[in-house]
Amino acid sequence: MFLTKYQERMLNGEMGEAISKSFELIVKLGDLNDADKLIPIKNAQIAGVSYYTVGESIFSFLELFSKDKIKVKVPSWLNPAGMDTVKWKEMGISEDFAEKQNRIIKYYMDMGIELTLTCTPYLIGYEPSFGENLSWSESSAVSVANGYYGARTNREGAPLALASAVIGLTANYGLHMNENRMPKVIIDVQTEIKHFSDYSALGYWYGKNFKGLIPYFKGLKESSVDQIKMLAAAMAASGSVAHFHIENQTPESKLVDLGYIEENFEFLVEDKKSVYSIFQQTKEQADLVAIGCPHTSVDDLKKISSIVGDKTLRKGTDFWIFSSKKELETPGSKSIINQLENKGIRIFTDTCMVVSPTIRDNYENIITNSTKAAFYLTRKGQNKVNLQSLEEISMEVFE
Amino acid sequence: MKEIGIRSIVDGKVKSTAVVSPISISFLEGVDPETGIIMDQENPLFGTSIADKVFVFPEGKGSTVGSYVIYGLQVNGVAPTAFVVNNAEPIIVAGAILANITLVDQPSEDIFSFIKTGDSIIIDTSKSIIKIGKKE
Repeated sequence: MFLTKYQERMLNGEMGEAISKSFELIVKLGDLNDADKLIPIKNAQIAGVSYYTVGESIFSFLELFSKDKIKVKVPSWLNPAGMDTVKWKEMGISEDFAEKQNRIIKYYMDMGIELTLTCTPYLIGYEPSFGENLSWSESSAVSVANGYYGARTNREGAPLALASAVIGLTANYGLHMNENRMPKVIIDVQTEIKHFSDYSALGYWYGKNFKGLIPYFKGLKESSVDQIKMLAAAMAASGSVAHFHIENQTPESKLVDLGYIEENFEFLVEDKKSVYSIFQQTKEQADLVAIGCPHTSVDDLKKISSIVGDKTLRKGTDFWIFSSKKELETPGSKSIINQLENKGIRIFTDTCMVVSPTIRDNYENIITNSTKAAFYLTRKGQNKVNLQSLEEISMEVFE
Repeated sequence: MKEIGIRSIVDGKVKSTAVVSPISISFLEGVDPETGIIMDQENPLFGTSIADKVFVFPEGKGSTVGSYVIYGLQVNGVAPTAFVVNNAEPIIVAGAILANITLVDQPSEDIFSFIKTGDSIIIDTSKSIIKIGKKE
């Protein structure tokens, strides 16, 4: 690919090993994907934070950047960690885990990366703009950025997003190119999609059946970003889907060329039921309800509060909600948080059921409204998970 | 010795013994970064070390954090000397670049039909070939 003289000097090590390695990662993967040049990115969203998912190896990698005192070149923020950075003891996290988790976070902080610790940066003031190039690595956020906002990012691996943040550039290929953003499959939604869990079921079904292909959904009513994030997260988890279009809603839906369509399918009521039946794995009383995959918004909390009403949580079942600190600082959210906590609901930030070890270690039968959470919690047979709507959950576990 | 064409991704000249996995590899949770030993119980190589060997497998899979495990193997002195894969996907490419481990892919023949663990293997990326010698 074409490199400027300056870029070549960076690649060749003029600014040290960390910068040189960062360039090498981006340029080599660009070359393998026939990229023509490097392009500037607006910001980066970096995964590889939770000690539970990254393990010991992360330290030697972060040390590479630390020894050269590297700072990121563009605004950058972090994916969730393995624990709530304040209330970690209440989650059942060990001292040893917390110490390692805090060390990882400090490395990123020292690089100038903002400690958002969320998979939904677009909820806390970092909405991407149409057409801008990004390097995001959280798979659900990648899909929301491309589909809902019309921004452009490949599904970057954790090292690639960090390398891009450090040099402020990515290679021009994949979803940065117009022609790769066209839909391949039309899905005509013929059944009611109402609950968050319905959006999640549709996404799970699509990803499983049409891995990696960009869909064009027809028949979906105007949806909120909170509904879309459930759909996007599910497609990304079950099928690595990184972009989507919804007729008459998403910003590129009127611009795309439907001439690339290879398949037409309907999503029927039995397809929806089939996903719910995959995640009906236990008849025993749930010991945990886990909500917040992707992270909940304050709007979600209001919805949960209104569904639950004045009922209280039954004994023997914990109810955990995951969000981000910044989202919970939204003006007016304090009273909602208090209402929920008074019912026995715990609200944790900076982490979630997928990237924290405590859920798998301490709970067995889990109810969630997210197929992404269900997918990861059951992948190695650790947990039994039932997928339900918030309304069904409320009826079951509140008295 | 049998000679096969390859594409070079991370250059190098390597002579070592092959360790051949018939199935895809997730480095995260699949390989112990402290020892270089394969930890995936579903892999017939379970318990085998890839340290200082040429590690041959179809492709990478799983978490992108697997790249950090490859880098960790190098830092801990238990990295393989090279990777030979059918298709290099971003996890392996990023890991091999970071750790500076020779990486080649797209062999001109189906190497999994004849290469076995213990065979000797020579990689020369300047000539875009690998040579495979059967175990004596």
